[in-house]
Amino acid sequence: MSASPSTTAPPAASEAGAPTANERRGAAKRRTPPARRGERLVGYTFMTPWIVGSLVFTVGPMLWSLYLSFTDYHLILGGDFIGLENYTAMFNDPMFARAVKVTLLYVLLAVPLKLVASLVVAMLLTQSRRGIGFYRAAFYMPSLIAMSVGIAIVWKALFAGGGPQDQFMSWFGWDGGGFIGNPDVSILMLVLLSVWTFGAPMVIFMAGLLQVPGELHEAAEVDGAGKWHRFIHITIPMLSPVIFFNVLMETVHAFQLFGPAFIIGGTAGGPAWSTLFYTVRIYALAFVDLRMGYASAWAWMLVLAVGVVTLIMFRAAKNLVYYAGEDNK
Amino acid sequence: MIRDPYRLRRRTLLTGAAAAATVAAAAACSDDGPAGTADDPIEISFEWWGDENRAGITTDAVNLFMEKNKGIKVQTNFADFPTYWEGMTGRMASRDLPDVFQMDYSRLRQFGSGGLLLPLEGVVDTSDFREGFLDTAKLNDQLIAVPIAGNTLGLIYRADWFEAHGVAAPMPGYSWDQYGADITTLTPALGEGKWGGGDWSGQYHFMELWLRQQGGSFYNEDGNALNFEPAQLAEWWTTTADLYAAGMVPPVETTIEWVEGGLVQDVLGSEIGWDNFMPGYTPTVEANGGTLALAAPPSLDAANLGLYLKPSMQLVISGATEQAEASAKLVDFLLGDPEAIKILGTNRGVPATNKGLENVEIDPATQAVLDYEASVEQYLTTPPPAPPAATGAIEVKFGELYQQVQYGEMTAQEAADLFFTEADTLLAAEQ
Repeated sequence: MSASPSTTAPPAASEAGAPTANERRGAAKRRTPPARRGERLVGYTFMTPWIVGSLVFTVGPMLWSLYLSFTDYHLILGGDFIGLENYTAMFNDPMFARAVKVTLLYVLLAVPLKLVASLVVAMLLTQSRRGIGFYRAAFYMPSLIAMSVGIAIVWKALFAGGGPQDQFMSWFGWDGGGFIGNPDVSILMLVLLSVWTFGAPMVIFMAGLLQVPGELHEAAEVDGAGKWHRFIHITIPMLSPVIFFNVLMETVHAFQLFGPAFIIGGTAGGPAWSTLFYTVRIYALAFVDLRMGYASAWAWMLVLAVGVVTLIMFRAAKNLVYYAGEDNK
Repeated sequence: MIRDPYRLRRRTLLTGAAAAATVAAAAACSDDGPAGTADDPIEISFEWWGDENRAGITTDAVNLFMEKNKGIKVQTNFADFPTYWEGMTGRMASRDLPDVFQMDYSRLRQFGSGGLLLPLEGVVDTSDFREGFLDTAKLNDQLIAVPIAGNTLGLIYRADWFEAHGVAAPMPGYSWDQYGADITTLTPALGEGKWGGGDWSGQYHFMELWLRQQGGSFYNEDGNALNFEPAQLAEWWTTTADLYAAGMVPPVETTIEWVEGGLVQDVLGSEIGWDNFMPGYTPTVEANGGTLALAAPPSLDAANLGLYLKPSMQLVISGATEQAEASAKLVDFLLGDPEAIKILGTNRGVPATNKGLENVEIDPATQAVLDYEASVEQYLTTPPPAPPAATGAIEVKFGELYQQVQYGEMTAQEAADLFFTEADTLLAAEQ
């Protein structure tokens, strides 16, 4: 009850109880009791490195780029305020349509595939078997290294003409060569890279799966439900908040894919713009074309688009996600 | 109410600790005072693009410089060409350029017009340059760079393959059609996985050559607009269409994966390129049992090859340098010190100074470059003015769009129209 850090004996404490209550009422007006204020200051002091870091390296540059997006800022020559011109110019830019197309295609392919893969593996890894810890670590491993430059270069070698993928697929009559040089399938390289690194959603799925009450499965089994029915009618509904979380996180991440695409396709999104991701184009606009203002407008358009997609997902989730204990309709 | 007596004190302590840390940090950052002795040297930075080989000899030359100038310490760094320029562009924005760095003629306006380069008149020694070389180091009549070496375009070809398959050695003035016919003879004769020549349409430098052969130019005199029509670009991009369709030149699916040139990989019989590249290719080609030779590039007009002597590379000093004197010393040393010249050789091209030319050791491949340059001297004409700042981006766009044509995603005309839209936007952005 008492918020006072009193160390006095019990009788005194009961006396102190009344002023404390008064003090609290007063505090409601003054908002912060003096003792708390001191604590708060210490708290902020400890947070200073983080606050300074995020202001200087994140919030500051973000606000600056928001301003730049309304200018025709050139990396060397500077620029002037031009209002919404950058934002309208985007819709007449053939490269914009191209980059949006590539990015959406990637999101639509990579997110579902990655989530299905991670759910399947998570279900296998929640069984209690000998040595399961090893398998869990082994399946998580790729996500630790996947976004590194090294892996992107290995990926490039795997999918080169005459490389392992080309040779393997040639046995089955494939004549499209390496994915690296083939604009029709090159995006699949990046989809596969993403699917391969399902560690993060897998761990979350595993945590979710272990939360599903065993008695639900037992009850259903007694009623004669098979494995498939139990998966559809018990596991999926009970897991739906976790699925929603993973879909959201993976979608937001997929929209921002940059590193591997940049290393594999370069600033030109080669071959033939087939890996011209939205973020790669932003990079090229800013650091090859030097059009920082226009590039900033592209970046903010991505923020807007991801925001809208997230909003739509939250709306859709209302009807699709089941939260146990909230079903008193 | 009883307050915790330690709270205040702890806060005081924290403040004190923070203050102490700040003071310590400030002390660590403070200047070391005047520098320039062996114990307390001036530090300057020097960066260039190139491969390991170039890095090795350049570092040797820099070490010699430091030995002779005890008071100066040089930090060196290098990267490959695209990475180098991506890095420099970012650093240019943050005004964080190295004191001395290697410059490309095509980027001179981009860096020079922003006032980022130190005017060099009277700062470095300019008395010894070969004729005509300093002209390409000026922007608006102000000297902002010094050429290291010069080069010009040529046709580098496998003399052994040409001879073995009965193709006559190319002579100055021979036509683009003849070159195409030679490739058509060579490719089938060389067999699977080898080609008589590369697809030359994707390089804007070669189109510039082609335009110069018609008396035109790529950019206008002021260097702020394209000086040709979309139809001409569409025509240029179709000059290799038949060869490409017939498989006489390597397909884009193959070349996109190349990390080395086709000549070095022993799969390409000829390539248009800068003549100073030839000595670099020679050791590898000879190890493969081949011989390289240099000829003039193909032309539309036997009397006008469109050639000009271009500075292959330049050295510049950052306008923001605090050590102009030491930087100038390094530049003078690299271009004028006989020992440094010996170490650097012709890796960057045939030296631009007379002293360089006298002191450089000439191997047979370099001699071939010198002979070639002498043989086309009568064809050399005035260099084009320094290209616009956007030329780096335009060059990239040129290659990107030609790739669309190669993949059949766009027709040459569609790609040419889009190139003009994009180039106009880029050029407008710097007005």
